[in-house]
Amino acid sequence: MATIELRGLRRTFGSVVALDSLDLDVHSGEFVSLLGPSGCGKTTALRIVAGFEWPDAGEVLVNGRDVLGQPANKRNMGMVFQAYSLFPNMTAQHNVEFGLRVRKESHEKRAKRARELLELVGLGTAMDRYPRQLSGGQQQRVALARSLAIEPSVLLLDEPLSALDAKVRVQLREEVRRVQLELGITTLYVTHDQEEALSISDRVAVMSDGRVEQFGTPAQIYNGPRTAFVANFVGTMNRLEGTVVSSEDRVVRCGPLMLSVPDPTFNHRAGETVELFVRPEDISLELLSNGNKPAPGLFDGRVTSLTFLGPVTRVGLATDLGPLLADVSSAVALGLAADTVVAVKLDSTALRSIAR
Amino acid sequence: MAQVATVAETRPSSHRFRRARNRVPVWHLTWLVLAALVFIVPIYSVVQFSLAGVQPGQSPFHWYLTVFDDPMFRSSFWLSIQISLETVAVSLVLMVPTVFWVHLRLPGLRPVMDLISILPFVVPPIVLVVGLLPFLEKITWLFVRPEVLSLIYVIFALPFLYRALDAGLRAIDLRTLVEAAESLGAKLPRTLLRVILPNLRAAIIGGSLLTIAIAMGEYTVASLLEFSTFSVYTYTIGTSTAYEGVALSFISFIFVWGAMLGLYLLGRGGRNAAAVAITH
Amino acid sequence: MLPFFAYISVFLLIPTGELIVGAFRTANGAFTLSNISDIFRAPYPQAFEFSLELSGLSALMGGVLGFLVANAVLHHGVPRFVRPAFVSFSGMAANFAGVPLGFAYIATLGTLGVVTTLLQHLGLNIYPSFSLQGLFGCALVYMYFQLPLMILLMIPVIEGLRKEWRESASNLGASSFAFWRYVGLPVVTPSLLGLMVLLFGNAFSAYATAETLGVSNLVTIDIANLINGDISINPQDAYALALAMIVIIVITIVVYALLQRRASRWLR
Repeated sequence: MATIELRGLRRTFGSVVALDSLDLDVHSGEFVSLLGPSGCGKTTALRIVAGFEWPDAGEVLVNGRDVLGQPANKRNMGMVFQAYSLFPNMTAQHNVEFGLRVRKESHEKRAKRARELLELVGLGTAMDRYPRQLSGGQQQRVALARSLAIEPSVLLLDEPLSALDAKVRVQLREEVRRVQLELGITTLYVTHDQEEALSISDRVAVMSDGRVEQFGTPAQIYNGPRTAFVANFVGTMNRLEGTVVSSEDRVVRCGPLMLSVPDPTFNHRAGETVELFVRPEDISLELLSNGNKPAPGLFDGRVTSLTFLGPVTRVGLATDLGPLLADVSSAVALGLAADTVVAVKLDSTALRSIAR
Repeated sequence: MAQVATVAETRPSSHRFRRARNRVPVWHLTWLVLAALVFIVPIYSVVQFSLAGVQPGQSPFHWYLTVFDDPMFRSSFWLSIQISLETVAVSLVLMVPTVFWVHLRLPGLRPVMDLISILPFVVPPIVLVVGLLPFLEKITWLFVRPEVLSLIYVIFALPFLYRALDAGLRAIDLRTLVEAAESLGAKLPRTLLRVILPNLRAAIIGGSLLTIAIAMGEYTVASLLEFSTFSVYTYTIGTSTAYEGVALSFISFIFVWGAMLGLYLLGRGGRNAAAVAITH
Repeated sequence: MLPFFAYISVFLLIPTGELIVGAFRTANGAFTLSNISDIFRAPYPQAFEFSLELSGLSALMGGVLGFLVANAVLHHGVPRFVRPAFVSFSGMAANFAGVPLGFAYIATLGTLGVVTTLLQHLGLNIYPSFSLQGLFGCALVYMYFQLPLMILLMIPVIEGLRKEWRESASNLGASSFAFWRYVGLPVVTPSLLGLMVLLFGNAFSAYATAETLGVSNLVTIDIANLINGDISINPQDAYALALAMIVIIVITIVVYALLQRRASRWLR
C-alpha cells in the first residue's frame, strides 16, 4: 500500500489563508484523521491530495512520487464525498462498476467485483436499486464500495458521515474502519467530529487555521494535548491559572491549593503565571456533611449546574480555583442539587501544563 | 503577476498549477465566440447598414433624420408607449391582487394558475386574433379604439408577469407578513398596499419592463387589427425603404436593450424575482 | 379572483373556443368538415411542411448550440464577466424577435447585407442559393431568439449536475468525455429534449419575423392572409388552420411536460 507525504502545503483563497505550510506523513496502511473545526483547512488539504485543488506552494508525495503534476483522474485514489456523489442514473451495481467500466474491464469482471464489494459493505441485496431508493447510510456504503472497486492506492474520505443520523454514523464508522483494516488501505479521513476521529483512527492530526496543531495517536491527543487549542477542541478541559512556587519540584499554587505537576518537561520559573488543564473525568466529588471542612488536599466547591449526559452527569462547580466542570457517575450525582457544597478532589497525575 | 514569477523561481510547480487551473479549453471558447458572433454581427450590420446608402453631401445619419422628421414616427411611437403603459396598468391591477389572493388564501389554485399562465403559449398571437376577430367586430366601439390592443396584450404578458409576481411572493414570507400586519390592526387592502407592494417592488418593476417590451414590439395583432403602432409603422416604412426600416430596427434595439438593462440592474442586488422568472 | 377569471374567459378562453367551433362551421353557421379538409389541399400541406421543418431546424440548431454555450459559460475557468454578460444579452436578444429582427437580418444577410457584401469581397457569393426566406436562412434568423432562450433555460439544468458527480467520476478515472457519456448526458438529455421541444413550439408560433423577411409559405402567415384580405378572405379556413396549430402546439406541450417530469427524477 501507499505512503502519503504532505510537505509545506500552502493555499490562500483571496485574503483567507486556508493552508499554512502543512506537513503530514501517513504510513502505509495507516488510518489518519484530519480533525478540526470548519475552516481549518482539512477539506482543502484532502482535495489537494485528490487533485481537485492545487496548492500555491508545497508538495504531495505518494510512495515518494510527486502527484501534483497528475490530473485527478490519473491518481488512482478512491474518494468518498459527504453526500450526493452517486450517479443518479445508475443502479448501485453500475455505480460501483463505473471505475472499472472507464478502465474498459470486461463485463463479467466488473459484475463480479461489484458484487464482492457490495457484499463487503453489507449491501449485496441492493445491487439493482437506484440511489434515490437508498437511505443516506446505504448510499454512503455504495459510495465506499465504488471508491474501492478500482483498487486505489489511497482512500480519501471527506466527512462521509456528517450528513447522516447519529446512530447510523456510529454504525457506519465502525464499518469503514473494518473495511479499511480488512483491505489494509492507506486512508485519510476528514471530520469535525472528535469522537469519530478518536474512535477509528490510527493517528489523528488536529488542525486549526491551516496548520497541524498536534499529530499523534488518539490516546496521545486526548491525554497529552500539546497546545491550548487541542486541549479545548478534543474533549472538555478545565483551565486553571496559577503561580509557580518551585521550578525543580514543579509545584504551582492555584488558589488555596498547592498542585504538583507531573509533566517532566515543565520548565517554568518561580513566580511565573501558568495555565494548567485537567479533564472533568479526573475531578471527583464528595458530599460534605454540614459545616465540615474538606480534608487536606481537597477544597470546597458549590454546585452551580447539573447536566445529565446519560452515563455521567456534568457538574458545574464554583470554587476558589475558578469555575470547574466535573464528570461524576449519574448515580452519585443524584445526591447533588444546586448550591450543594462538596469536597472537590483533583487527580494531580492528570494535570497538564501546556507550553506557551 | 510578478508575485507568481517570484514563486516560480523557488517552486516551479505552483506556477504550473495556476495556469492549469485557469485554462479554458478551446472547445468552450469556440462556442462562446460563436455565440457572441451570432449576437453581435446582426447588431453591427444594423448600425453599418443604417449609416450607409446615403447620397454624397448628406449626413451619414440621413435615414435617422428622415425617420425622426416623419410625423408618423412620433405618433406611432407615442401610440405604442401609451398602449404599453395601459397594458402595464391593466395587467398590474388584474394580476397583483389575484396572485396575492391565491398565495394567501387559495394555495390550492396554484396549479390552476400555473396552467393558465402556460395557456398564452398554447394559443399563439395569430391564433388568438383569429378567434377574437368575429367577437370584436361586433363591439365596434371598442374595436376601433387602440385600447383594445392593451387588453389583448395583457394576455400576452400574463405568463411573464405571473412568473415574476409568483417568484416575488414566494421570496417573501407572505403569510407571516400579513399576519404580523393583522396583529397590528391593519386591514387587508391596507396591508397589500403598504406592506406587500413595497416588498414586491423589484418583481413588479421587472414584470412591468417585460410587459412594456412585449407591448412595444408586438406586431401580429396590431397589424391585423390595423392599428398604427410602432412596429406596424416600422414594417410599413421598412418594406418600402429598407434603410429606414433598419434605422428603426436600431432604435427598437436600443429601447429593448434599455429595458433589459433596467431589469439587470434591478437583479444585481441579490435575489430578484423577476430576473429569476426570466431565467426559468 | 372573479375579475381575473372573467378577463381570461373573455380574452382567451372564449375566442379559443369560438375558433375551435368555427373550424367546423360554414359561413352561414352550418356544421361541416369541409374547412378541415381544406387544410389538406394545396397550398396548406406545403405550408405545414415548411413550418414544421423550420421549427424543427431552428429548435435543433438553437438547442444544440445553446447547450454547448451554456456549458461553456459555466466552465470554472471562464472570466467572471462572461456569465452575466451572456445572461443579460440573452434576455435582451430573446425579446428582440419580430419586425426589427427581420430588418436586422436583411441588413446582415440580405442581398445588400453587410455580411453578404463582405463575403463577396472575399470571393464567396452566397446568393442566389441562399435566401433569407428559405429554410436555412429563416432558421438562421430564428436562432437570434432561440439561442438565447435555450442558453437561459439550459444554465440552471447544467448547474443541476452536482459537482460531486463530476468529481467522483474524475476520481474514478473518467475523462471529461467519459463523464458526459455515462453520467452527464443521460441525466441532462430529458431536459435538453424538453427544452428543444419548447423551442419548437416557440418557432412554430412565430409570425412577425417571418412576415418581415418575406417568407410566404408559413402556416401563420397563411392564416394572417386569410383574415386580412390581402389575397382572399376565408375565415373558415383560418379557423381550421388555427385549430390545427393548436393541436400541434398542445402535442408539443404534452411532450415537453412528460420530458420535464422525467428530467426532474434525477435533477431534484
